[in-house]
Amino acid sequence: VITAETAELVESPCSLIVGTVDATGLPDASRAWGAEVIDDGHVRLLLSTQAEVTRRNVERGGRVAVTATHFFTFESVQFDHYCSGAAAAIAESDGTPLERVMRFITAGIYACTMTVEAVFDQTPGRSAGAQLAPS
Amino acid sequence: MTTDGPRPLALSEIAACFEGLIPAEIATASADGVPNVTHLSRVHMVDDERVALSNQFFSKTMRNLAENPHACVVVVDPLSYDSYRMMLVYERTERRGPIFERLRRDVDAIAALTGMAGVFKLRSADIYRVVEVEQVLAAVHVAEQ
Repeated sequence: VITAETAELVESPCSLIVGTVDATGLPDASRAWGAEVIDDGHVRLLLSTQAEVTRRNVERGGRVAVTATHFFTFESVQFDHYCSGAAAAIAESDGTPLERVMRFITAGIYACTMTVEAVFDQTPGRSAGAQLAPS
Repeated sequence: MTTDGPRPLALSEIAACFEGLIPAEIATASADGVPNVTHLSRVHMVDDERVALSNQFFSKTMRNLAENPHACVVVVDPLSYDSYRMMLVYERTERRGPIFERLRRDVDAIAALTGMAGVFKLRSADIYRVVEVEQVLAAVHVAEQ
């Protein structure tokens, strides 16, 4: 599902925004503080503990949308996925490069492994919203 | 009389968030619970209870709003870096008139400044009622507490 080009964008110092939804259908927006592509179907996201609604929605297993945008070109991709691994305090997770966490200092960070089901082009323009994978 | 919780914020109190210095984000959800999230170059304050968003490529967002009128928008104060999480309900779409023209001028200016003229093009001005505003302190301010 995740190509090398998509992985390069998502793991770069890009903007990462997160959309979740609660059990009643209310959407929630927040930011992610880092992403690491584990393999072509899984991404580990670093999320802030300050975004309490996001955490509740992620932990209940709801769908998660993450859009990664290059700061200068606006090239954007969106992952549609769900949390397939327990959200873990960053101290309990292993292998997360410290510089990813330190990219933005925030009050608290936890890591969540996501199973990616689809990838969309979100770059501004006529192709915005087009599904990139699975093709 | 006692009050519970923080005093509700009027949009005019966080006017700096609507200057367009830091992009905002909007999340919507389909009727079957699939979220969509995208950037907003700017959120415009209409009055103390309403904001207007420029609809340029909002295909998924508008599809979601047709099924579920709720949206969540996060704006950032460019001076304090505190965020404000706003819960919105979609009210109406305007394709002419003063609000539309205000947003069109803004979109044209941003497009010219970012080299996106011909890509950024205003389709409509979408008006939302703000039903809740929650302040999220910037990390530096959390550390001070």
